[in-house]
Amino acid sequence: MSGLPILSLITFTPLLGALLIAFLPSSQPNLIRRVALGTALATWVLSLILFVAFTSQQAGFQFKEAADWIPSFGIQYKVGVDGISLLMVLLTTTLTWISILASFGPIKDRVKGYMVSFLVLEVGMIGVFVALDLFLFYIFWEIVLVPMYLIIGIWGGANRIYATMKFVLYTLVGSLLMLVAIMATAFAFQAAHGSWAGAFDFEQLQRFAASGSFGNNFQLLAFLALFLAFAIKVPMFPFHTWLPDAHTEAPTAGSVILAGVLLKLGAYGLIRFAVPLFPYAAHTFAWPIIVLSVIAIVYGAIVSIVQPDLKRLIAYSSVSHMGFVTLGIFVFTAPALQGAILQMINHGLITGGLFLLVGVVYERTHDRSIAKMGGLAAVMPLWSTVFGFFILASAGLPGLSGFVGEFLVFVGSFTYAPAIAVASIIVMVLAATYLLWMFQRVAFGPVSDFLSGLGDRLTDMSRVEFMTLAPLAALIVVLGLFPSLVLDLLNGPVQTFLAAAGVAVGG
Amino acid sequence: MNWSDLGTVAPVIAAVLTAAAVLIVDFAAPGRRAPAIATALAGLAVVALTIVSLSGHRETAFGGSYSLDNLTTFLDLLFVAIAALTILFAHDYLEPRHLPIAEFAAILIFAVTGGMLVAASADLLLLFVALELMVLPGYLLAGFAKNDPYSTEGAIKYFLLGSFSSAILLFGLAYVWGITGSTRVDVVAAALANVVATGSIQPGLAMGLAFMTTGVAFKMAAVPFHYWTPDAYQGSPTPVTAYLSVGPKVGAFAIALRLFVGALGPLKADWLPIVIVLAALTMTLGNLVAITQDNVKRMLAYSSIAHTGYILVGLAAYAGGQHSGIAAILFYGAAYTFMNMGAFAVVTAVQRRPGVSSQISTFAGLGRRDPWLGALLALFLLSLTGIPPLAGFWAKAYVIVAAIQAGGWLTALAVLAMLNAAAAAFYYLRVVVYMYMREPAEAAAPLSPGLLFRVGLAVTGIMTVIFGLFPAIQEMASRAADVLRG
Repeated sequence: MSGLPILSLITFTPLLGALLIAFLPSSQPNLIRRVALGTALATWVLSLILFVAFTSQQAGFQFKEAADWIPSFGIQYKVGVDGISLLMVLLTTTLTWISILASFGPIKDRVKGYMVSFLVLEVGMIGVFVALDLFLFYIFWEIVLVPMYLIIGIWGGANRIYATMKFVLYTLVGSLLMLVAIMATAFAFQAAHGSWAGAFDFEQLQRFAASGSFGNNFQLLAFLALFLAFAIKVPMFPFHTWLPDAHTEAPTAGSVILAGVLLKLGAYGLIRFAVPLFPYAAHTFAWPIIVLSVIAIVYGAIVSIVQPDLKRLIAYSSVSHMGFVTLGIFVFTAPALQGAILQMINHGLITGGLFLLVGVVYERTHDRSIAKMGGLAAVMPLWSTVFGFFILASAGLPGLSGFVGEFLVFVGSFTYAPAIAVASIIVMVLAATYLLWMFQRVAFGPVSDFLSGLGDRLTDMSRVEFMTLAPLAALIVVLGLFPSLVLDLLNGPVQTFLAAAGVAVGG
Repeated sequence: MNWSDLGTVAPVIAAVLTAAAVLIVDFAAPGRRAPAIATALAGLAVVALTIVSLSGHRETAFGGSYSLDNLTTFLDLLFVAIAALTILFAHDYLEPRHLPIAEFAAILIFAVTGGMLVAASADLLLLFVALELMVLPGYLLAGFAKNDPYSTEGAIKYFLLGSFSSAILLFGLAYVWGITGSTRVDVVAAALANVVATGSIQPGLAMGLAFMTTGVAFKMAAVPFHYWTPDAYQGSPTPVTAYLSVGPKVGAFAIALRLFVGALGPLKADWLPIVIVLAALTMTLGNLVAITQDNVKRMLAYSSIAHTGYILVGLAAYAGGQHSGIAAILFYGAAYTFMNMGAFAVVTAVQRRPGVSSQISTFAGLGRRDPWLGALLALFLLSLTGIPPLAGFWAKAYVIVAAIQAGGWLTALAVLAMLNAAAAAFYYLRVVVYMYMREPAEAAAPLSPGLLFRVGLAVTGIMTVIFGLFPAIQEMASRAADVLRG
């Protein structure tokens, strides 16, 4: 470890920005908006520097920083990144500045509180991805909760209070059980070593787990508690019911971050902590989890077909898409896991883009119901083109990034159990159905009475709105054509994951 | 007794002198608020200094009945902080209602002196006398708004049940004295260890244990001995409620530490099941009832019952063999003091004008009406919920880690505590919903709390944020807990 503590810089730059904004006068919303955007962009640039400086073929964590925090319990401030967390950090910093830029127009009320919440949210999200101490991880995990609670509850839609309370209570039940599991894990380590030193340190715990030191029954309980927390966040069927409400009621940028990053926290937790620490339990529960994943994939797709609301449709399609991620994790093959991680990024980019696009229409129409739309291609040609692009990406068109991720999961799960792969391929047809049908109803045909009633207010996308979508579209194309950009980063971590998960397979 | 004993009890003497000085100043300048407040705060500062100057000592006074050790120091500092914060917050509430501050401060400081004596008790007789010194002024404070029938009603309920429970506790202490032949904590502990070693405990001791548990459970407001709390809390003037929710609670846990851990430690296998049941009932019922409350003061009262339950988990962890449970209790008590007093303080500020209720609808739009107060109340409520990195989170974490370490039934208790914490999020966040997500009923004027009030809020706010982030406080609690290591 040398030189600049770049991970801490990335994590806490948004906090500095939030503090700065807290002391700006709320009578100057434009200044606040610019400071927020500047902070998010600075964080993004820092994360790009991290990406450039990262050595892709090196195993283990890089840029590690560690300091004792609460020595009597061995709690450390310890951060580090491997390929997976690096990608997640990049996804977070990218989507955050895009979201902040996309909020310039829609958020006119209480701008200060909004921007502070957003930047604190970014601290929590980045922190979750870089933390290498379980306690620190938990703290960042919970920090994410509060700003999102406020963002949905204050700036959300009509039913926002119900949605935000549901979101908080679901997440909190899971995360508090996770806290118990984390403590029990640390205590098992402490009991074996006779000292608290390193009891929350992920690397030491992983070595401890690799030596088969967690008893089987203990693993089952601890894994279940962790799994519940992560499964609620992903969200896996049947823990998904908070998601359509939260996504629908959140302001546009909130939906983008919810879908783009928050759902990834759960999947990341499974990949990083739950499986490597408790491989025996992971294998024991693999089948039920795979079945739940397939149910989520199919169910999410079917329910999407009948959704009358644009945001709700995208929300349910998230359940389906995230099902591929959990499926990819729990079949324990290298291509499937690579696909799962790629799918996490794709879903962040594509669904983030879709929510932004729905937000653009909502800004003009204050309505999201598919039935009232129609013929948007005639009035908003640029918007319709971009929307079509993201729809095709979401449906998994080859050449765009969505295809690669799902394809890898198919390949990986086919070697595991062909039936699962076949079942999930059918869903691609369903996905094309609900996405294209929705696109057809919204964009084509005669301009609906509702839309023509809006007259001049229905302008095409503005330049700022296009600027928020262009980088996402570019990334989708680039990753679709050169998935190796991401996959190269994943070789090491995927091998590490499989080795950790393989312990129980062999023994 | 010899003269050096007076040095050992210097903090208590300083506290008594402070209370007396406040009365004298009020006598010299009747009705003037500033001198009384200044005297009280300056006196409390002196008390704090004497406590700090004696910290690290370990000695006894008055024939071994008063013990000065790290535990005494920790609890004494906490009591002084409680008194100082209460006085800082009280002024803004008492002045518009024409209630005198000097009597208030003097009674309060007497009560806190009782708490400090409880913390230092190494003798069951002193423990009881100190307890009475702590709670009697509390009854007066509860009825401080003597023209308000609710205040009087709450005070009478508090007084009747409080003196009843004191009697029960005393009855239990008498049994212990009868069986062990001593009231000295260490002698009692040694005798009881003997009893345990020679076989089962006789019925008299079991009855004594039952009486003492009941008495202390009353003082802590543990379910099912909590009935006095909501009325006493809701009826009292809000600053008094703030005090009652922390002062006597910390005092009751000080009794638990000196009595149950110190004297009855050898019997811990016998009282462990009772504490587990009490903890489970207390946190669950406290939370369930708090969910249904529409009055913020009453909600905080019931939630304070729930917090008693969490603290009891720490006591259960101790009885289950984890000494770290005691440090967790102390840490929890201190963290709870700051966040809960802060929450009550904001309620006080909202109710500054006489006649303003503490219904949850009063808090609608507070975030817009007064951004700082709103943000602070949100902070305190989030901390009470247990959201990291705030004080309340660390408090819960330490209790939970001790319980999990103890294992067995206590792991189940830890899981129950966490589920309760999730349920508690509902009613704490409901207030945040009102503050930020609803508009005020009418155009309400911004609140303008006074300078003293703002100082108090700043202290509680800062403490709530930094409490867990720096390990020093946890280490201090650990050192205090080490005193009780047998």
